[in-house]
Amino acid sequence: MKWLILLALPLVADEVQFNRDIRPILSDQCFHCHGPDAGNRKANLRLDVREAALEPALSKRRAIVPGKPEESEVFRRITHTTKGLRMPPAYAGHPPLPAEAIEKIRQWILAGAPYATHWSFLPPRKAAVPAGENAIDYFVRATLRANALEQAPPAGRATLLRRLSFDLTGLPPTPEEIAAFLRDNSPHAYEKQVDRLLASPRYAERMAWRWLEAARYADTNGYQSDGVRDMYRWRDWVIESFARNQPFDRFIVEQLAGDLLPNATREQRMATAFHRNHRTSAEGGIVPEEFRTEYVADRAETTATVFLGLTMGCARCHDHKYDPIPQKDFYRLFAYFNNLPEKGLVYNWGNDEPLMKAPTREQAAQWQVLEGVVARAEAQRRKLEPQVQRELAQWKQSLPRTGGAQWQPKENLAYDGKQRMAFDGKRFEEVKPSPVLLDYLTPFTFSAWVNPQSPEGAILGIAEDYDEGNGHALLLKDGRLRLHVVFRWTDIGMRLETEQAIPLHRWQHVAVTYDGSRYAKGVKMYLDGVEQPLKILFDELNWPMKFKYPLRIGAAYGLRFEGEIEDVKIYQRALDQSEVLSLWDRAPLSPQSHPDKLRLAFLEQHASQRIRSALAEERKARENLAAFESKLPTLMVMREGDKRQAHVLLRGAYDAPGEPVEPGTPSALPAPPPGTRQDRLGLAEWLVDKRNPLTARVTVNRLWQMLFGIGLVKTVEDFGSQGELPVHQELLDWLAVDFQESGWNTKALLKQIVMSETYQQSSQVKPAMLEKDPENRLLARAPRLRLSPEMIRDQALYASGLLVEKQGGPSVKPYQPPGLWQELFGGGGYTQDHGVGLYRRSLYTFWKRTIAPPTMVTFDSPSRESCTVRETRTNTPLQALTLMNEVSFLEASRKLAERVMAQRGDFSARATELWLRVLSRPPKAKELAALEKAYQRNYARYRKNPADAYALLDQGEATLPRKGDKAELAAWTLLSSMALNLDEAVTKQ
Amino acid sequence: MREFLARRAFLRNAAGGIGSIALSQLLAAELPRTGGLPGIPHFAPKAKRIISLFQSGGPSQIELFDYKPQLVKYADQDLPDSIRRGQRLTGMSASQARFPIVPSRFGFSQHGQDGTWVGDLIPHTASIVDDITIVRSLHTEAINHDPAVTFLLTGAQIAGRPSMGAWLAYGLGAETEDLPAFVVMISPGQGGGGQPLYDRLWGAGFLPSKYQGVKFRSVGDPVLYLRDPAGMTREDRRAYLDTLRELNEAQSVEFGDPEISTRIAQYEMAFRMQSSVPDLTDLSQEPPSTFDLYGEDARKPGTFAANALLARRLAERGVRAIQLFHRDWDHHGGLQSGLPKRTQEVDRASAALVKDLKQRGMLDETLVLWGGEFGRTVYCQGRLTKTDYGRDHHPRCFSVWMAGGGIKAGLVYGETDDYSYNIVRDPMDVHDLQATLLHCLGIDHTRLTYKFQGRNFRLTDVHGRVVKPLLA
Repeated sequence: MKWLILLALPLVADEVQFNRDIRPILSDQCFHCHGPDAGNRKANLRLDVREAALEPALSKRRAIVPGKPEESEVFRRITHTTKGLRMPPAYAGHPPLPAEAIEKIRQWILAGAPYATHWSFLPPRKAAVPAGENAIDYFVRATLRANALEQAPPAGRATLLRRLSFDLTGLPPTPEEIAAFLRDNSPHAYEKQVDRLLASPRYAERMAWRWLEAARYADTNGYQSDGVRDMYRWRDWVIESFARNQPFDRFIVEQLAGDLLPNATREQRMATAFHRNHRTSAEGGIVPEEFRTEYVADRAETTATVFLGLTMGCARCHDHKYDPIPQKDFYRLFAYFNNLPEKGLVYNWGNDEPLMKAPTREQAAQWQVLEGVVARAEAQRRKLEPQVQRELAQWKQSLPRTGGAQWQPKENLAYDGKQRMAFDGKRFEEVKPSPVLLDYLTPFTFSAWVNPQSPEGAILGIAEDYDEGNGHALLLKDGRLRLHVVFRWTDIGMRLETEQAIPLHRWQHVAVTYDGSRYAKGVKMYLDGVEQPLKILFDELNWPMKFKYPLRIGAAYGLRFEGEIEDVKIYQRALDQSEVLSLWDRAPLSPQSHPDKLRLAFLEQHASQRIRSALAEERKARENLAAFESKLPTLMVMREGDKRQAHVLLRGAYDAPGEPVEPGTPSALPAPPPGTRQDRLGLAEWLVDKRNPLTARVTVNRLWQMLFGIGLVKTVEDFGSQGELPVHQELLDWLAVDFQESGWNTKALLKQIVMSETYQQSSQVKPAMLEKDPENRLLARAPRLRLSPEMIRDQALYASGLLVEKQGGPSVKPYQPPGLWQELFGGGGYTQDHGVGLYRRSLYTFWKRTIAPPTMVTFDSPSRESCTVRETRTNTPLQALTLMNEVSFLEASRKLAERVMAQRGDFSARATELWLRVLSRPPKAKELAALEKAYQRNYARYRKNPADAYALLDQGEATLPRKGDKAELAAWTLLSSMALNLDEAVTKQ
Repeated sequence: MREFLARRAFLRNAAGGIGSIALSQLLAAELPRTGGLPGIPHFAPKAKRIISLFQSGGPSQIELFDYKPQLVKYADQDLPDSIRRGQRLTGMSASQARFPIVPSRFGFSQHGQDGTWVGDLIPHTASIVDDITIVRSLHTEAINHDPAVTFLLTGAQIAGRPSMGAWLAYGLGAETEDLPAFVVMISPGQGGGGQPLYDRLWGAGFLPSKYQGVKFRSVGDPVLYLRDPAGMTREDRRAYLDTLRELNEAQSVEFGDPEISTRIAQYEMAFRMQSSVPDLTDLSQEPPSTFDLYGEDARKPGTFAANALLARRLAERGVRAIQLFHRDWDHHGGLQSGLPKRTQEVDRASAALVKDLKQRGMLDETLVLWGGEFGRTVYCQGRLTKTDYGRDHHPRCFSVWMAGGGIKAGLVYGETDDYSYNIVRDPMDVHDLQATLLHCLGIDHTRLTYKFQGRNFRLTDVHGRVVKPLLA
């Protein structure tokens, strides 16, 4: 930071600007105790608001007296020679302010202490750019001139094409593409390449990666046992959105509030999975509300970081220390995301509610076909209804009044205990092992005739026989019919009961059905065939139950039955009401039988062939449809449930609600126009409103970072007063306004940047430049940056011909060292893919948050535990080990060697092919000599030890060619590996 | 080395502000180091490194360290409301009908000069009681594993902060060029089960990722991708690296980017690690007496005992932060049969490490910490039978022990009530523990900071105080 101020000094010698010169000092040195946070304010003095700073303080002195530094307490204290009185305070470990800073403050007070709104809270303005000039170059050159620097010469064409290809598609150019570009002498040769790359489907995959990091996308939940989820259809949505260059404002609106758009399409609702990508916890014993609060807060913080570049999370527990963001503002933002009907303790084995089916286009088409088949079959059956009625009436008349046949549902009947049993409150019947084992997703029906003598007792159970035990049971508690499905009494299971007590001392039929949905809403209870209103006592059934308890009649959960039980039936499916009625009406079939039962029995056994085949047809169609639907991918999405009142949470604690708050945008920013909806859609429209000073700037800045490695504002996540001032604010503002004016056209923006001469400069670093501008903020050269993790791996796969390019779809599991998951989790661990899954772009690699893919994190990928927008790059020995020894890179080296050897010609022709594939340029003479020397050494070495050659080549699953000289292949494999390990290979230069 | 010299020069220049006595101490404590920040340590450190023996899942203080003979009187009675005071419980026992008190079913006896009570399950630990400080009054904010472990190891319950080891790697660097500054080793417990662990527990958070802990594994490569492919010898790799270096240097001359020289250096360190790590993990040169001390388990890679022995070897080689994890202490049920298995696995080697460091003269400069993320409830969770019982998570008090550099020997700190439920004397929270550990390492916890999202973050957030009575 310091050098920037120095660099900027010649520009500002005559005038002090508050935002550029003063705010950074006040914010960093004073606001912590004398800023926006009322709770932490010392001496009741605030310096972030001019009026307050000018008023007499508690001490009667005035902090700032405009025009009079000597009378200003601020100036007096920052220059105080007594350590105890000097500010910022020595007792808190602060050194005195540097002389330049003190001088600036003096100048500023002398000039009347003018304040200004923080730069990023003011709308961006588009400064005039001379006609015919590229705006980027115009602004960059102006800054360079002011610092007595000039732009570097253009990069070589091959270098440029490699840079451009990585930047726009994430992959290097092929030798053919380079040759074509070098041959093209037209004035628009470069622009043609830009257009070609922007039109490539790879562009969307490249863009998606960064968005996935910002959106904290992953394939697992992220807390504790880190169960799987399935959000890839959202990733597909992102890729498709970039591919069709969806205007970025709509990209934002649909992800935040696609579900609230009028006539929302399936795709628009899918987009809202964005805010379900946060981590969730399935850890037993958590307090669900604590974690639900965490999820909502994550949505608010992510929204602020990604779209507004504000660190609103700082205002979660107290007023923001540096920015004008009161704590209340955080909870107003929080309130937008608070009405989702979601659980704090989530499902550990897949997506949790609210969710939607998210078919691909092909699946959607097939879905429609299958629904059509059902509709036609249903229509066909309906057409036969008159005939059904006729035949049914005839058949009914033929039934004897007594002594007819019995009929009851038989399908999936797992247990049928007809005999009558008397229970005295002690004895019970046990069937061991149980004829049926029920897991949490197994649908079932329990049915029995009972004549209870006591309001407490167990009718039947496949459960432990003590209080608060585990398993399935149908009980009487306080006379109410009650179902227990329990994995662990205290926190995992489902318990519900009838609202009304059932009568004692009489025979009645009870039945309970469960549809296998793992929710209490999937349970029904019947008394004498009549569905009963239910009270849900506990609804957290979310864990597989592999219990093997016996079936007991008259006993479960330590309860015993008093009275009689007869005709116990257990089905492994949920019967419908007609079927339950058929169990209640247990007399043999007669004209008096319940009409539902008569109809079921007739249709099953006595209807004409035509009717029965129509029924079979419809049933088959429904089963096909259900089977298809059950396999459709789903997405966790946003949905507005009942309003949940949001509160300011004191100290951020979930259980300390303070003042109630309504949804609202941050108070320091321009308010939405009156009449704006107070929901997520209103928020989203406000974010992309052209009066919003932040969203476009923040977006443009992040894209700049994607190309240049550092944003125009380096702190891409923080545009607040502790964030960095933009080095080229006019440029940032110009780009932001232009982006809005272009209809938030991302491709146009990227094209504009890469067409600039600034982008096309050479990245060579001259020592003088390095000293003057080590981070290259002034852009007197192009950046030279290590490739991002996914590009490093993708390049190796691509250069070697292994890459399988297939867009979208479920995540894949490429190579990973064995045991990596087990040592942290136990269990089955990582099941690596075979074939295609090994060679997809890294975008599709399965992302487990608590143990992220090692090749990615070693190269500085964020863990995806929370929203990350800042890029970082380190340079470590672990990276070297990965590139040299990880199987993907070794396998790719060998395949690359095969490719190189397929090249006709001498050593130099092959080496050229290798260099072109990896570095996009031919080797220089010295390099060629070094390579040839290395080759000769290795060739001789492996010629002598063929077994070593085989061992070296035995990498990965790609087949090894049977023919050919293995020593030669081994030697080329090592050269290929070396090529992939070159600094230049892993660098965009 | 260049950094080391620069640092010396820095210290000399800073002499005016520090005072010459302090300076001489500082210089005496200085060894060549790689990485780290100028000005850190802030003051003369007592310990140069830390070995943390983390027991994941929450070992029961009631069976191991916090002797409560009165509990026998209260056995099977419900925990009085006057003790529970409406404190929140985990979702696992909150809806239990009753909270029957269960005393430890394992004995306690007195050890050491002061007759300190230690559970009979850990006789070896009892034998070093005069060398360690037992803290019985640690407490935490979290009641579930994920947030509690994350809190203890990173200072915040929510993911995203650097772990303590990463902070140390960042601030202090290492005293070796051949090994990482921060090494992590995991042992599963024989059952193979237990609570999961997460990369973030040794992660770098918002610090550059090079400060994250490097996991040393007992299966496959000890460090990921350390081994060269079969068919490649050390000579082959050396020749490979020589060519690579030649090519990279030419590029460096042309492009002038200092990053290229850094990369060359990283490849050289990788090469050194390829021999230094196998050398480290090769226990064949350890004399029989080592295994007499740590137990025969130490011969089995991946056991806690083997990792404890490796921890000493890492300490000898200048690694700054050594973090062990032993899993499966989460005894909601099956405590009576499960707890002895865990203590059997760790007790001997934990004590052996302290003895070993002591006999090598390294204990003075090595900080050792033993403990889990929280304690366990005095009341039984689940079924209380003659042969078994369980305890739920208990954040309101738990016990750990510390030893070595900067820490008093033979101290027992803090006291809980008769139920080992609430702290009655000298409470110490997780941030206090962290502040105290950093202090022993010569770091003022308020001054090891990193600016992120506009704020200077630190391990102890805005909390923590050095617990002076623990300091030697």
